[in-house]
Amino acid sequence: MGERMALTGNKCASYGAALCRPDLIAAYPITPQSSVVEELAGLVYSGALDARMVQVESEHSAMSVVQGAAAAGGRVFTATSAQGLALMFEPYFRMSTLRLPMVMAIATREMTSPETIWSGQQDAMSVREAGWIQCFCETNQEILDMILQGYMLAEDPRVLIPVNICYDGFYSSHLMEGVDVPSQAEADAFLPPYGLPAKLDPREPRSLDPMTPGELLTKYRRSHLEAMQAALEVVEEVDIKFAKAFGRSYGGAIEAYRMDGADYALVTVGGMTGAAREVVDALRGEGLNFGLVKLRFTRPFPAARVREALAGVKGFAVVDRSVSFGWDAGPMYVEACAALGGLLAGKAHFSAIGGLGGADLSVAQLAAAARRLAGAEGAGRMDTLWLSEEVRQ
Amino acid sequence: MSYMDILKTAPQVLTPGTSACQGCGGELILRRVMQIAGANSVFAVPPGCMAGAGAVGWSDTNGCTAPMHIPLLDNTASFMSGVSEMYQRRGRGDVNIVAIAGDGASADCGFQSLSGAAERGARMLYVCYDNEGYMNTGFQRSSTTSRGSSTSTTPSGAAINGKEQGAKYVPLILAMHNIEYCATASPSHMPDFVAKVKHGLEASKRGFAYIHVFSPCPTGWGFKPSESIAVARRAVASNMFPLWECERGRWYMSENRSPITMAQFVEGIGKFSRLDAAALEELQEAASARYELIRRLCAK
Repeated sequence: MGERMALTGNKCASYGAALCRPDLIAAYPITPQSSVVEELAGLVYSGALDARMVQVESEHSAMSVVQGAAAAGGRVFTATSAQGLALMFEPYFRMSTLRLPMVMAIATREMTSPETIWSGQQDAMSVREAGWIQCFCETNQEILDMILQGYMLAEDPRVLIPVNICYDGFYSSHLMEGVDVPSQAEADAFLPPYGLPAKLDPREPRSLDPMTPGELLTKYRRSHLEAMQAALEVVEEVDIKFAKAFGRSYGGAIEAYRMDGADYALVTVGGMTGAAREVVDALRGEGLNFGLVKLRFTRPFPAARVREALAGVKGFAVVDRSVSFGWDAGPMYVEACAALGGLLAGKAHFSAIGGLGGADLSVAQLAAAARRLAGAEGAGRMDTLWLSEEVRQ
Repeated sequence: MSYMDILKTAPQVLTPGTSACQGCGGELILRRVMQIAGANSVFAVPPGCMAGAGAVGWSDTNGCTAPMHIPLLDNTASFMSGVSEMYQRRGRGDVNIVAIAGDGASADCGFQSLSGAAERGARMLYVCYDNEGYMNTGFQRSSTTSRGSSTSTTPSGAAINGKEQGAKYVPLILAMHNIEYCATASPSHMPDFVAKVKHGLEASKRGFAYIHVFSPCPTGWGFKPSESIAVARRAVASNMFPLWECERGRWYMSENRSPITMAQFVEGIGKFSRLDAAALEELQEAASARYELIRRLCAK
């Protein structure tokens, strides 16, 4: 039987990874992720977890060591944030394009400059075109659960793509919630042992990643994109399997909250969703028909489900904890608009940006965004709303 | 078994017909290291001359009889750390884990990864073939390029004549990591070379083994392809490239009490053809100082 514990998000990531019986963990400390690897090191050094722990000298090497171990046929784990993710970008891109499955936790953090160590989603969002699957979590329970689901998803033969489990730095990584921690037996019953063959093995000598001409490389890219789309289906299957095993379902690639008959929707990513739920409940109490779409997966982007969820609304606002420098908007706003395509016509919509660099993304700010949407005169794009201290009802 | 017997009888592991330049020192080093390590190995050859020459293969074709990967230019040692850990975990420590990388991938952008793996005692043999620059991309300078060398990024100009800095002496830095085995070798001294590679492979079962090999480059340095071994021999004879080894703090060297001069070493090498007297003097002082330092380390 599992156990009910009060855990930080980082501990949930550690316990989730440990339950998946990784062969090897390589990591480098960085705020706010550090306690993930500290906890795992403690488990390995105490003998509680049978895994190789490689204490590397940088995130570039963290991703390189796990890449080598994965190429040699191991289940591997690492975690990082912000500058660490930026430093590991080179082997990070290669991990997905080598199609080596793994799970990496990202305690999301704002990118420097200006100098900062606090929360934000700019790090994970900035690498969304690196071929990884990216999942964002709202609660600590979800972090633990999605690490288990992440391995099942990544290792599915239809997918074979590494997975990021992202959660808000500090707000989730350092704050405690009550969490059901499965027993090892329960985790084993859900997640089968790693069964993929080693790519580098003298028993079957092969050249891994030789120089590849464009015609052939194009086929690799196409296959990767097709696997990304196939992953959308596998996400839903894994969610159902997980619900059967543990009684918890998250709705797959998106969660639609009170969207039945909704006139307006807030679209959220990660921990901000909790505050947005309160806003939706409060406005429903006032007779304003608000609902919420939580983007659980951003890569692959669940375009069909977003389109379906937002098809009937008069207006929507997408709240981003990061920016898209090319669009005067947040990145998920841009992508939600792309997903809607022709269905955008007739809707009021705007991008709301807040919670950068650890700034609070408050209920009051989200309520202000919602009221602005409800008060929209006519359809079309409205100016980007910067959620700051001044934006209150 | 003598070194000759090993080289004559051990099967070749490298793809036949790689497209290295005539007289390439790196190709000889690669071929011999792979032959001595054998097919029960995992090899990594990062971007550089040997990858460019086709060691890792083209498209889906490769004639190597052992698995090989082209890691990133700057992560060879850390990538192979992961491979090594998995082979140990699976109870297959008999598999040789061997990296063969140039000086750019080892001494410059790969240096952090190399230092990290050495410090952790990752179990592998790491061979650096040092041809003193980025020869695969057109002879640019690296941190191991000798002072005064004319390269495509440190040309012999009227204002500045060749590389202004001396070479970074990487093998000594690696030895200071307290690794299991550290050595220098030269393709001109094959008995010594074979013994050190064998020694390094044995040591790689216990920890990190590093061999820094002098790799003459006729195309980039500007000398006749037929002169490669002679150039390597002169590098050793001049004490510019002393041969030594260090095993867990115990130092040994091949003493050379009557060295040839650096003027004799640079003779006929194009990249040194416009050396002025001052630069030649600095090269001579650097070689003498390096030899003296190693000699003291090896003194009983």
